[in-house]
Amino acid sequence: MSTFPVVRVLVLLLVLLPLISAVLVPLCGRLARRVSLVIASTHLVLTGVVILAATETLSIRAAEEIRIRGDIEAQPFHPEFVPGDTGGRHGNEQRTSWTLFSLSAVPAKPGTPGPNIQFYLGIDGLNLWLVALASFMIIPVILVSWESITEKPGAFYGWLFLLQAGVVGAFLAFDVILFYIFFELTLIPAFFLIGRWGVGSGRRDAARKFFLYTLAGSLLTLIGVIGVVVTNPHPATGQLTFSLPDLMVNVQHHMHNAHQKALAGDPSDLAARHTTQFWLFVALMAGFMVKVPIWPFHTWLPSAYGEAPIGVTMLLSALMAKLGAFGILRLVLPLVPDAAIQYGLPVIGSLAAFGIVYAALCAFASKDMKMVIAYSSVSHLGFLVLGLFAFNREGLSGSVLHMVNHGLSTGALFAALGFLLERYRTTEMNRFGGLMGRFPGFAFLTFILVLASIGMPGLNNFVSEMMMLAGLFNARNPGVQGLGLAVVAALSIFMSAWYMLTMVQCVFFNPLKEPEPVTAVAAPDVTRREFVLLGTLVSLCLALGLFPQLLINTMKADVRVLSIVGDSARARVQGVPYVYEDEAPPPPLVSPGPPIGAPGPKGKGGGFKGKGGKGKNPLIGEEE
Amino acid sequence: MTDPLLQQTLKGVFRLAAPEIALIGTACVVFLFGCMYNRRWLWFAVSLAGVGLAAILAGTVKTQMPAVVTAAPIIPDTAAAFVRWVAIITAAVLVFVSWGEVDGANAAEYYGCLLVAAAGVSLVGRANDLITLFLALELLSIPTYVLLYLPARSKLNQEAAAKYFLLSVMSSAIMLFGFSYLYGLTGSTNLVVITDTVTKAHAETLNPMALLAAVFVVAAMGFRITAVPFHFYAPDVYEGGPLGVVAQIAFFPKVAGFVALARVLGLFASDPRHIPFDAYTQLPLLLWILAIMTMCVGNVLALLQDNIRRMLAYSSVAHGGYMLMGVVIASSLPDVNPDAKNQPGIGGMDALLVYLVAYGMMTIGAFAVILFLSTPDRPVESIDDLAGLGRTHPVSAAAMAIFLFSLIGLPLTAGFAGKLLLFIGAINAPTHTTEMRDLYRVMAIVAAVNAAVAAYYYLRVIGVMYLRSPIRQPSDSRAYPTALAAVVLAGATLFFGIYPQPIVKAARNAAPVPATKATVANPKQ
Repeated sequence: MSTFPVVRVLVLLLVLLPLISAVLVPLCGRLARRVSLVIASTHLVLTGVVILAATETLSIRAAEEIRIRGDIEAQPFHPEFVPGDTGGRHGNEQRTSWTLFSLSAVPAKPGTPGPNIQFYLGIDGLNLWLVALASFMIIPVILVSWESITEKPGAFYGWLFLLQAGVVGAFLAFDVILFYIFFELTLIPAFFLIGRWGVGSGRRDAARKFFLYTLAGSLLTLIGVIGVVVTNPHPATGQLTFSLPDLMVNVQHHMHNAHQKALAGDPSDLAARHTTQFWLFVALMAGFMVKVPIWPFHTWLPSAYGEAPIGVTMLLSALMAKLGAFGILRLVLPLVPDAAIQYGLPVIGSLAAFGIVYAALCAFASKDMKMVIAYSSVSHLGFLVLGLFAFNREGLSGSVLHMVNHGLSTGALFAALGFLLERYRTTEMNRFGGLMGRFPGFAFLTFILVLASIGMPGLNNFVSEMMMLAGLFNARNPGVQGLGLAVVAALSIFMSAWYMLTMVQCVFFNPLKEPEPVTAVAAPDVTRREFVLLGTLVSLCLALGLFPQLLINTMKADVRVLSIVGDSARARVQGVPYVYEDEAPPPPLVSPGPPIGAPGPKGKGGGFKGKGGKGKNPLIGEEE
Repeated sequence: MTDPLLQQTLKGVFRLAAPEIALIGTACVVFLFGCMYNRRWLWFAVSLAGVGLAAILAGTVKTQMPAVVTAAPIIPDTAAAFVRWVAIITAAVLVFVSWGEVDGANAAEYYGCLLVAAAGVSLVGRANDLITLFLALELLSIPTYVLLYLPARSKLNQEAAAKYFLLSVMSSAIMLFGFSYLYGLTGSTNLVVITDTVTKAHAETLNPMALLAAVFVVAAMGFRITAVPFHFYAPDVYEGGPLGVVAQIAFFPKVAGFVALARVLGLFASDPRHIPFDAYTQLPLLLWILAIMTMCVGNVLALLQDNIRRMLAYSSVAHGGYMLMGVVIASSLPDVNPDAKNQPGIGGMDALLVYLVAYGMMTIGAFAVILFLSTPDRPVESIDDLAGLGRTHPVSAAAMAIFLFSLIGLPLTAGFAGKLLLFIGAINAPTHTTEMRDLYRVMAIVAAVNAAVAAYYYLRVIGVMYLRSPIRQPSDSRAYPTALAAVVLAGATLFFGIYPQPIVKAARNAAPVPATKATVANPKQ
C-alpha cells in the first residue's frame, strides 16, 4: 500500500495543523477570521482524505477480523496509519517509534516495546468519525463567531484551534498518558475562551469553575491511568507499558488467568483483581464523570455554557463533552472491564438515568433557550453513557454514533441560537414569539434541527438512540437494571420532545413578539453565511439519519473487540466460563420485531447479537 | 598516612572541586575589587565569566572515583555531577534575574555572595563526609544572610533577614547534633562508612539512636526544604526579602536540603537497595507524614494569601511536600522483589531530581517576572497588582502564565513531567511491608487532590492577569536581563514539558534505579 506513508503524515497533520495555527493565527490581526476559515477548511479536506483512506482499510479489516474467533486471543484496539511507525504494513500491528520519554532503566532501542510514553497516534473505527466531527465543527464555530467576536479576534481563533488540537489529539491518541495530555490541554483554551470572550458578567467565575472542576476530576483520572499501567505489566516480562493496545492485551491476559484459577476453585486472585479494578474504575471515572457530565457532577456546565460566547458553547457541547464519553469508551471499558460491568450500569447508569430526568426537567424549566439546549445536552449525554455501559455491540456502536450525532445536532442548535443572538443579543424565551412569520427560512432550518435533536426518524439521532436502546434492552446484563434504565432512557426521548417543542411553540408560534433589535434596520432572514452554516448542518443531520450504515460498518471491527472484552468480563463477573458467541452465522430464531421484545433468559446470548444488528436495519429501511 | 592510595585520595580532592574553586575564586576577586569599582555591568560580566569558567572546568576536568571511597571527603559520582550542573546553570540564570534589583552600590557583594552560594550547593552534591556536608551547607547559608541584609532598608527586610538567620542557625545546630550521634554510633564521619554500618546494624535490630539521629537530620533539612512544621520563616522571608534573593532561597536550599538528605539516608549510594532506613524502619513513615503535612498545609495556607509573594512562599512549601514524596518512594526500593521482574519504573530520587529542576525553572521564573515588573516606587505586592497584565505586558504575562500552569502541573509543562514521575513512582512502590502498606498509593491520591486544590490559587493569578482590566500604569522596567531570564525559563519549561527525555535521562543517570537483577537480595526477606 503506497498511500500508507502519505496518510500517516496526514494523521499527524490533523493534530499539528491546529497546533501550528494556534500560534500563527493570532499574528494575523484583522485577517484572522479569514485565515482561520481557510485553515479549518484545509483541515477538513485533510480529514476527508484520511476518511477516504481509512474507510477502505477499516472495512477490509472488519471483514478479515470477523473470521478470527474472539476467544483464541485477546484482541486489542488496532490503530491504523500510525505516524512514526517503522515497519508496519497493513495488517501488522502498528506501533510508533516516537518516544516522548522512557521509564526503562536501560535505554531501549527505538521501536522495541518498553515502558515508554510515546507520541502514539492512530486511526481506528472508534475515533475516525469523531475526528471528522472535530474537524468539521470548527467551521460552523468560526462562521457563528464571524461578526460577534470583535475583541482580539486573532487570539480568539488561536485558542479555538488549540482547543481543536487538544480534542483531535485526545481522539487520536493510543498512548494512555498522551491521551491524558491532550485531554488536559483542552482546559487552557476553554478557560480563556470562556473567561475572556464570555458574554455574561459571571464569565470569570464560570471559567474558573469549569477549569477547577474538570482538573480536580482529571487528576484522579491520571492516578487511575497510572494505576492501570502499574497493575497490568506484561505477564511474561513484567514490563510496564503505556500503549493502549498492549495494555488491553495485558489486562485481558491477567483477567483470563485469574478467571481460570477461579473456575478451578481459587477465587482469591480474581477477587483481588476485582477489588483493584473497582478502585481504578472510581479513579478513572472521576474525571470522565465531570467532563461528560453525569449528575451530580454537572454543576459547572450551566454556568460555563451560559457564560461562554455562542461559538464556544458550540465547541464545548459538540466536542468537549464528547471527550468524557470517549474517555469511557477508550480507557474505562477496555482497561477495567469487570468493574465496568459490575458498577457501570448499576451505579453510573443510575446516576446517568437520574441525570437524564433531572436535566430534562431543568431544560423544561429554563427560561433561556441557551440553557434549554445546554440541559438537553446533559440529558442526551446521560443516555449516551447508558449506551456505553450496556457494553454490548449495539450499545457501543449506538453510543459512538450518538457522539457524532449529538455533537452535530446540539452544535447546530447552538448555531441557530447564534442567529438570534446576532440580531437581538438575547435568547430569553419570553421575549420572543411568532418568529415563524418573521424569519421563515430560519424557522424551517431550526425545525429540522429540533426534530433531529428529539430523535425524529429519518434524522440522525433516531438511529443512534434506537441502537443504544437496543443495547440497553439486551438482557444479558446481569440484573434488571438494564431494563429499568432502558425505560428511563426511552422516557428521555419523550421528554426531549416535550421541552424542545415547548420551546419551539413559544418562540416560533404565538403572536409576534421580538425584543429590541441590535440594528435600527429590520433584521433580515438568514443571510448567505448563515444559510451555508445552518444548511450544511441540517443536511448533515439528514445524511447521517439516512445513511448511518457507512459509519457503523467502519467501526464494526473495533466495536466487536470491545464487545468481546465486555462478554468475557460479564462471564467473569457471573462466575461462569466464557463462551465465545458470534453473530455469524445469523441464527434463525431471530424475529425482526422491535428490540423491546428482546429480553430473555441469560443463556441465549448467541441470538441477541444478531438481533441488535437485525433490529436496526428494518428501522432504517422504514425511514427510507 | 602512609597508605599511598589514601594520600592519592586526599590529594585528589582539589581536582574534584575545581569548578567550585573557580566560583569561589571569582567571588573573592569580586569581593576584593568591589570596594574600588562600583559598576553593575562590570560585576555582572565578571560573575558571568566566573560561572562560565566553572562550567568549562566542570565539562573538561576529567575526574575519577577516589581510590578509597571510605576516606574521601568528596566524591564525583553521577548525582554530584547532576547537582553541579544544576547549581552552575542556576547561578547563571540568577545572575541575569537579579540584574533588576542590583544597584551599583552593592553589585559586587551581591554577585559575589551568589557565586559562593552556588559553589555551596554544588559541594553539597559531592560531599561524602559529614564535615564537608556541613561546611557546604554553611557555604550556602552564610552568603544568603548577607544577601538578605544587603538591601535591608525597611523593617520588613530586616525582619526577614533576622528570621532567616536565627532559624537557619538553629537548624544547623540541630543538624550538628544529629551528626554527632551518627559519628558516635559509627565512629566515622564518612557517609559511605556511616550508611554501610547502619545498614548492617539494621539488618538485625533497629537501632533507636540511629533513628533519633536521622530524625534530627530530617528536622534540620526540613528547614531547608521548607517542610511543615519548619516552614514558618518562609512566608515572611519571601515577603520581605529582595526578590532575586528570594528566587534563590526558593531553590538553592531546597536542592541542597534534598541532596543532603539523600546522601545521609544513603539514597544516592551505589546500590540503593542497601539503605540504612528502609521501609521496615519508621523513618519513611515519618517522611510520609512530613510530605503529606507539607503539601496539605502549604496548599491550604496558600489559598488564603492575597500577597503574591506569600502565595508563592506557601506554594513553594507545598512543592517541597510533593518532592518529599520522592524520598519516601526511594525508601521502598529495597523491597522491590527481584524475582517479580517488575521493573520499578521510578526509583523516587530520579523523580525528585526531575521535579526539582522543573520546580526551579517555574519558581525562579515566576519571581523573575515579578522582579521585572516591580519598580522601587511601584512594587508588585498583592495579586491585584498584576491585573490586566495580559494587555499591558503580554510577554511577561505569557511567561508568568506558563510558570503558573507548570506549577499547577498541566501537561506540556515541565511541572507535569515531574508530577507524572512522582505519581508513577508512588503507585508503583511495593505495598507488602507492614509499616507502609498502601500508604504510597494514598500519598499519590493525596498529592493529586492537593494539586487540584493548588490549581485554585494559581488560576486566580492567571484570571487576574488575563480576565481583568489593568488598574495601574504599565511599569517602565528596564531590567532586560531579568526579562530575558524569565523568557528563557518559560521556553525551557515548555520545552522540557513537551520533551522531558533529556532531564529524565540525566536524572536517571544521576540516581539510577537498581536494575532488576539485584546482586544481593534484600536481607530481610
